[in-house]
Amino acid sequence: MKTATRKPEDFLPLTPAMFHILLALADKERHGYHIMREVEERTSGNVKLGPGTLYGSVKRMIADGLIEELDERPAPDLDDERRRYYRLTDLGFRVAGAEAQRLEQLVRSARAKKLLPRTKTG
Amino acid sequence: MKKNPAEQRNIFLTLYSILLLAYPRQFRREYGPQMTLLLLDCQRKTCNGPALIRLWLRTLVDVISTVPVEHLQNMREENGFMNKLRTDLMAIGGCLLLIIGAVLLLSYGRSHQVSAILVFGFALDAIAFTGIVGNLIVFLLAKFTSIRPLRVALWTFLIVSVLALLASTVIIGRLDSNVVIGYAASFVFWYGLHWLWSQIRLHQGSSAA
Repeated sequence: MKTATRKPEDFLPLTPAMFHILLALADKERHGYHIMREVEERTSGNVKLGPGTLYGSVKRMIADGLIEELDERPAPDLDDERRRYYRLTDLGFRVAGAEAQRLEQLVRSARAKKLLPRTKTG
Repeated sequence: MKKNPAEQRNIFLTLYSILLLAYPRQFRREYGPQMTLLLLDCQRKTCNGPALIRLWLRTLVDVISTVPVEHLQNMREENGFMNKLRTDLMAIGGCLLLIIGAVLLLSYGRSHQVSAILVFGFALDAIAFTGIVGNLIVFLLAKFTSIRPLRVALWTFLIVSVLALLASTVIIGRLDSNVVIGYAASFVFWYGLHWLWSQIRLHQGSSAA
């Protein structure tokens, strides 16, 4: 398969929506609405993913092998059984890490150029 | 009269279902129900009117910005954008040639009173007319419904041909045999092309599998 030979760096830079989705799925599997809520809460409402943006990114990330859809469906008495849950794949985990490192490097550069306040040490 | 929240929800969901038609069929089939469910969840958590309006404006912007992206992606996935563009341009060129050919042959036939060419001219006229109208309808129906394209083509070309024949009979005031032959030939031509295309796709699908 095409994705099997690709390194995490090949996927960078990720779109903001894709990175947010990977972050939302980093700790546990979630369905679409949970992903949307998690992103909104984590960014204090600054990032709101619409249905088209969310599922368009989900489609591409599944095709790239970054996330996968769970086969199991929730029990009808617990949740809507139409919901689909997604989780990170190993590749997705590594890509999210690589993107975080890339962004960290950028922030470090910005700090070195005095665009950001220095972090307090000690 | 002010609508209650349940009624508002139903209206918005109906509107959203219509907006979903703008997405490529495959994407809509795969993710449409999930997108509607997500929007339903968002609406449930939205308690007041202004928040609901904000949600809908945001959703509208989302649809407008993601529909072109999905169509471009879809084109790349299918045959490659340039291939598709080339095929479309060839089809348009073919239609234009048919129309020009029909007009030239018909005027030649009329001025020289050659009945065989006259019939041919009628057939080309009918092919050009039913081709433009029928293919547009087939394209829209095949894109936005799940009915089999070949079935859509059969009924569309049949209905368009019969209606055009009736219209020309009303205009002329009598049933002209040349016009009947023309529309019969155009139906066979267009349905034949669609049947051929479906066979090619079927063959390509089975070889890919």
